[in-house]
Amino acid sequence: MPLNTLEQQALAEIDFSEDRPFRLVDHLGLVRATSVVVVLSLWEIFGRQVNPLFLSYPSAIARAFFQLLGAGEFERQALGSLQVFAVGLIAALILGIALGLLMGRYRLAEYLLDPFVYALDATPRVALIPVLLLWFGLGTSSKIAIVFLSGLFPVLMNTFSGVRTVSANLVDVGRAYGAREGKIFSKIMLPAALPFVMAGIRLAVGRSLIGIITAEMFTAVTGLGALLIRYSSALATDKFFVPVILLALLGVFLSSAVEKLQKRLAPWKETERAL
Amino acid sequence: MTGASDEKLIDELGLRRDHRWSIYDHPNLIRAASVTIFLMLWEIYGRRTDPILFTYPTAVAVAFWKLLVSGELVRSMLVSLSALAAGFGASLVLGVVFGLVMGRSRLAEAILEPHINALYATPQVALTPLLMMWLGLGFEVKVAVIFLFAFFPILINTASGAKYVSASMVEVGRAYLAPPRQILFKIVFPAALPFIMAGVRLAIGRALVGMVVAELFTAITGLGAMLSLYGNIFETAKMFVVIIVLALLGIGSIHATQWLERKLAGWKETERAVS
Repeated sequence: MPLNTLEQQALAEIDFSEDRPFRLVDHLGLVRATSVVVVLSLWEIFGRQVNPLFLSYPSAIARAFFQLLGAGEFERQALGSLQVFAVGLIAALILGIALGLLMGRYRLAEYLLDPFVYALDATPRVALIPVLLLWFGLGTSSKIAIVFLSGLFPVLMNTFSGVRTVSANLVDVGRAYGAREGKIFSKIMLPAALPFVMAGIRLAVGRSLIGIITAEMFTAVTGLGALLIRYSSALATDKFFVPVILLALLGVFLSSAVEKLQKRLAPWKETERAL
Repeated sequence: MTGASDEKLIDELGLRRDHRWSIYDHPNLIRAASVTIFLMLWEIYGRRTDPILFTYPTAVAVAFWKLLVSGELVRSMLVSLSALAAGFGASLVLGVVFGLVMGRSRLAEAILEPHINALYATPQVALTPLLMMWLGLGFEVKVAVIFLFAFFPILINTASGAKYVSASMVEVGRAYLAPPRQILFKIVFPAALPFIMAGVRLAIGRALVGMVVAELFTAITGLGAMLSLYGNIFETAKMFVVIIVLALLGIGSIHATQWLERKLAGWKETERAVS
């Protein structure tokens, strides 16, 4: 329906190009950037005035960062931490998934194990560090044990609840077509539980990272955690922040890597459980 | 509807299957048997090992009684729990307040979000040495560590709860001319409550971890300090007493928050995994 002249005139009179008043809410990216810049510069100004034994400031931390990276010591310690982390986490994943599948599929296994699993899961894992140190000494094996225990329960609990939600129909269809128990596990249970397992792995990665740092801080011999203790005991605040920042980056990197993996491996369901 | 004749018919045709006794109908029996066998094996095996490294259930029970009678256990627990209450209370209040502000104001969200995300990504244990440098080894540092551990789950859950309150509810409130304060307290807060409670449940577990970490490192008072002390003098049985008490605290706090969650926020069961 064509517009009549009156309407055309009205349209021409209303100026659509009129500028909207400037609102901060329309420029949130700018607000974010400003906020970061303001905080960093306040920290720089304020930090330079206080005793360097207690607080450092961004430019000093940046300098310490390059200094430590250049020395090579830092990479060695970080690599040591990562190796321990990888070994403990892989062991936790294997055992956690296996036990979770067992407990989810067989009620006997569930009832036999769940008192211990729930009790250990509710215990703050850090409380076990002194006992583990007593048993395994200050070396690598106690750290692996701590990483293992930190990562085990999230994976186990998530796998367990994932398997329990597998629809009985799927299993019945599998049986009807003569699938053996092994096939039911590998072709029905595991794929159906995979989104849960991946969510558990994501939690486990974060917990294990905390586990290894705590263990290294407590033993204070090698690794990034030991560096934290060494620098804070030496009151070298600028150097102290370097491993802290690196650990934060590592945490972000690892959890986004697992998230990517989750999207690739188990894109069919996005449920996750907070355990 | 089965009448008497139907029942008879079923009997005559031999369709009634009698329910045989099955072990699976008594899961608690299996659980009890499992725990008993475990404790017995532990007792037998534990008595043969070096008491410096390992212990056995009756020794733990004796140690528990001794620590209880001497008052040491109760004293340490009170110290730990008061720090827990102070730190957790502070993180609850500040987490909910900042969460509501961030959830309702895009400007506040943009200003605070980069810093919150950076701090949340950092493993909080890594900041413990810095806090000890600033606050010493006393009560304050414990409260600060507990606060740091528990604050972020509450904040992030509250913010996302307040953010995803359905717009139509807020609009109905506006249409009936509710002042902003009423919109906040009568619409946004109740709608966000299930999220807040999910955050509280995550936070209480982390607060407990924070408490143990702080006490292990400061090693002066509280349950964590007892753990560290008895670890250093190889009193393994007493260490297990502390670990069991911490496990009970963990289980108790999980049940308490679940109960509170059902009581306060029974109308929605959504939960978000942010941990």
